[in-house]
Amino acid sequence: MLKVLIPTLMLAPTIWLSKPKWLWPTTLAHSFLIALISLTWLQNLSESSWASLSPIMATDSISTPLLVLSCWLLPLMILASQNHMAKDPSNFQRAYISLLTSLQFFLILAFGATELIMFYVMFEATLIPTLIIITRWGNQAERLNAGTYFLFYTLAGSLPLLIALLSLQGWTGTMSLLTLPFSDLAPLTPYTSMLWWAACLLAFLVKMPLYGVHLWLPKAHVEAPVAGSMVLAAVLLKLGGYGMMRIMIMLEPLTKQLCYPFIILAMWGIIMTGSICLRQTDLKSLIAYSSVSHMGLVAGGILIQTPWGFTGALILMIAHGLTSSALFCLANTNYERTHSRTMVLARGLQVILPLMAAWWFIASLANLALPPLPNLMGELTIITSLFNWSWWTLILTGAGTLITAGYSLSMFLTTQRGPLPPHILALEPSHTREHLLIALHLLPLLLLILKPELIWGWTA
Amino acid sequence: MSPLMFSTLLLALGLGSTVTFSSSHWLLAWMGLEINSLAMVPLMARPHFPRAVEAATKYFLAQATAAAMILFAGMTNAWMTGQWTIEMMTHPLPLTLVTLALGLKIGLAPVHAWLPEVLQGVDLTTGLILSTWQKLAPLALLLQLPHGNSPLLIILALSSTLIGGWAGLNQTQLRKILAYSSIAHLGWMMVILQYAPSLTLLALLTYIVMTSSIFLLFKLNNTTNINALATSHTKIPVLTLFAPFILLSLGGLPPLTGFMPKWLILHELTMQGMGTLATITALTALLSLYFYLRLSYSMSLTMSPNNLLTSPLWRLRPHQPTLPLAISATSATMLLPLTPAAFLVR
Repeated sequence: MLKVLIPTLMLAPTIWLSKPKWLWPTTLAHSFLIALISLTWLQNLSESSWASLSPIMATDSISTPLLVLSCWLLPLMILASQNHMAKDPSNFQRAYISLLTSLQFFLILAFGATELIMFYVMFEATLIPTLIIITRWGNQAERLNAGTYFLFYTLAGSLPLLIALLSLQGWTGTMSLLTLPFSDLAPLTPYTSMLWWAACLLAFLVKMPLYGVHLWLPKAHVEAPVAGSMVLAAVLLKLGGYGMMRIMIMLEPLTKQLCYPFIILAMWGIIMTGSICLRQTDLKSLIAYSSVSHMGLVAGGILIQTPWGFTGALILMIAHGLTSSALFCLANTNYERTHSRTMVLARGLQVILPLMAAWWFIASLANLALPPLPNLMGELTIITSLFNWSWWTLILTGAGTLITAGYSLSMFLTTQRGPLPPHILALEPSHTREHLLIALHLLPLLLLILKPELIWGWTA
Repeated sequence: MSPLMFSTLLLALGLGSTVTFSSSHWLLAWMGLEINSLAMVPLMARPHFPRAVEAATKYFLAQATAAAMILFAGMTNAWMTGQWTIEMMTHPLPLTLVTLALGLKIGLAPVHAWLPEVLQGVDLTTGLILSTWQKLAPLALLLQLPHGNSPLLIILALSSTLIGGWAGLNQTQLRKILAYSSIAHLGWMMVILQYAPSLTLLALLTYIVMTSSIFLLFKLNNTTNINALATSHTKIPVLTLFAPFILLSLGGLPPLTGFMPKWLILHELTMQGMGTLATITALTALLSLYFYLRLSYSMSLTMSPNNLLTSPLWRLRPHQPTLPLAISATSATMLLPLTPAAFLVR
C-alpha cells in the first residue's frame, strides 16, 4: 500500500516545486509511474483472499481492480485537463492538480480500507475535492447548483449510513472487514432491522446512482470540467458499487426480502434513463444518463447477491469506468473546439477529425457492449444471473440493451457522420495529446478481455 | 477607551469566568457570571455608535435575566435542600430553572433570539470573545449539574441544531450567520451532555478553534456581509483558497476537524441506543452545512472565469498578527487524525 500512497503524497512537492513550464510534464510522468507501480497489486489476484495486508489497509480481488483503475485515472485526468487549464495562472493550475491528487489519495484509502469507518470517512472525504473541482472550475453559473445537489444528495444518503455503521459496531464490537463476515448480528426487531438495512444501502444507492435518486449526477457531469466528469464517472460512482458489495455480506438474511423495490427501480431505471438518452440533445448529459443506466445494471447484479451477479457487476464497473471516461474525454475534445455541448451544433466531425472518429467509434461500440469487449462480458453475466433469478427481468434488461445500442449508435451517427455543417469548417486539428489520452483509455479496455480474471472478482 | 480601563475590563472578563470555573457554591458561581457579563457590556459598547450600544443593552438585558434566574434557582435549591453545592442540585425544579437560565446565557434555542441581534451589533473581535470565551463559564456550570435522564436537554439540543441551521439559511450578514452557527454547534454540545460530558468539552474545544479561525479570517479580510466576501481573493489569495476547508470543517465534513466531535457524539448516542435521535441530529447538520457551503461559494469558488492577467503591484500589509489565524486555521482543518481513540473503544 505504502509504495503507492507515499509516491502519491510526494506528488504534492512535485506539483508545488516544479517550474510552471514543467508542471504538467513532471506531474504526468510522476503519476504515470504511480499507476505503473499500482499494477503490481494485480499479481496477488490468484489467491482469492486478502493481500498486501497492513493494520488498516489491504487489497483483495474486489478492491484491486478499482484501486488500479483509480491510480490509472490520475495521469489521464492530468493529460485531459492540460489544454483547458493552460490559460489559468500557474498557482491555480497547481491547486487544481493538487485537488486531483488528493482525490486519488482518498480513493486509494477508501478502496484499500479494511475498517468500515475508515472507508466511510474516505468515502466522504472524496466529496470536498470533487465539489471544489466542479464549482470552482466548472464553466456555467449552474455549476453552483450542481455542486449543492451533489453534496446534499450524497450527504443526506450517507449520514444514515454513518449511524448504521456505528450501531453495527455497537452490536458486533468490530468494524473490520476481515472479521465482520464471521460475527453475527444481535437480534433486532423486524422494524428496526428494515430501517438499518435501508440506512446501510441508501448511501451507496445514491452514490451509484439508483434511478430516482440520480438527479445530482447529470447536473454534476454537465457542469464539471473534463477531469471532474472523468473521475466522477470512472471511479466515484464505483465507490457506491464497491461499498454495496462490501456491506452486502453483513446484511445477509435481510436482503432477500427487502431488495425487491430496489431491483425493480434499478431495472426500470435502465429503461427510463436509456429513453432519456434517446432524446437527449446535450452530449455530456447523454453520457451521464448512460452512466446511470449502466450503473442500474450493476446495482441489480449486486442486489441479487449471486457470485455471477457480483462478478458481472465488478467487470461492468471497470469496463464502464474506462468507457465513460473515454466518452467524456471525446466530448471534451468537441467542447474545446466548438465551446458547446449541444450535439446538433457539432455534427459530421468525421470529415475534419477522421482519427477522432475512429476513437468515437470504438468508444461508442464499447458503450453499447459489443463483443469481445469486457463491457459485454459484464452485461451478459449480470443479465444471465438476473434471468436465473427471475425470467421476467429479461424483458427489462433486454429492452435496456436494445435502447443502449440505440442511443450509443445515434450519438455516434450524430456527432461523426453526415454532412459537415458550414459553421464549423475551421476547427483546430486534433492533438497527439488527445489521441494518447483516448488510446490510454481504450487500450486497457481492449486488452482486458484477453485476461478477464484480473477484474472478475473472487471467483478466480 | 483608555488602556487602563480596557485592561481592567479584560481582567474582570477573565476573572469572572475563572471565579465561576473554580466555585462549587451557587452564590460564588453567580457572582463570577455577573462580573463576567458586566465587564463584557462596556467592551461591547466600546466603538460608541448606536448599533453597538443597542447590542450591549440587549446583551445586558438577556444576561441579567439569566443571572437573576440562576440566583433564584440557587436560592430555591438552598431553601429546598439546605445546601448551595452546584453538583448537588438534584431537585427537578431548580435544575430545570437553572438549565434554562444557562441556556439563555449561551444562547440555546428556544431562548436564543438575543444572540444573532447582539453579535450583529458588535465588531468581529468582540464577536469572537462573545462566541468563545463567554460560552465557557455557563458551559462549565452546565457540565457540573447532575442531569439525570433529562428530556429538557434533548429538546434544547434538537431545537438548537434545527433553528441554528434553519434560521441561518436566509441571512446575508456574516456575523448573524456565525451566531446561528454557534447556536447549532451548542445544540450538538447539549445533545450529548447527559451521556458523555467529556464529549461536550471536546465539541466545545473544536468549535472554539474553528470559529476563532473563521472570525479571524473575516477580521483580516474586513468583511461583514456575503457580498463583500467576493473580493477577498484579491486581498488574501492563499487564505481565500483555504477558506472553504475551514467553512466545511465548521459544517462537519470529513476529513476535516469538524467531523471529529460529530462522529464521536453520534457514536456515543448510537451506543446509548438512540439511533433515531442520532439520525435526526445528523440530518439537521445538513441545514447549517448549506449556509457554510454558500459562504464558500461566494468567497472562493466563484471567482470570475476571466482571470486578471496583471498582478497587483502592492498590497497593504495586514495590520493584524496572522500567527493566531495560521495556527487556528491549520488545526481547524487537520486535527481529525488526532481523534482520541479512548472515545471509540468501550
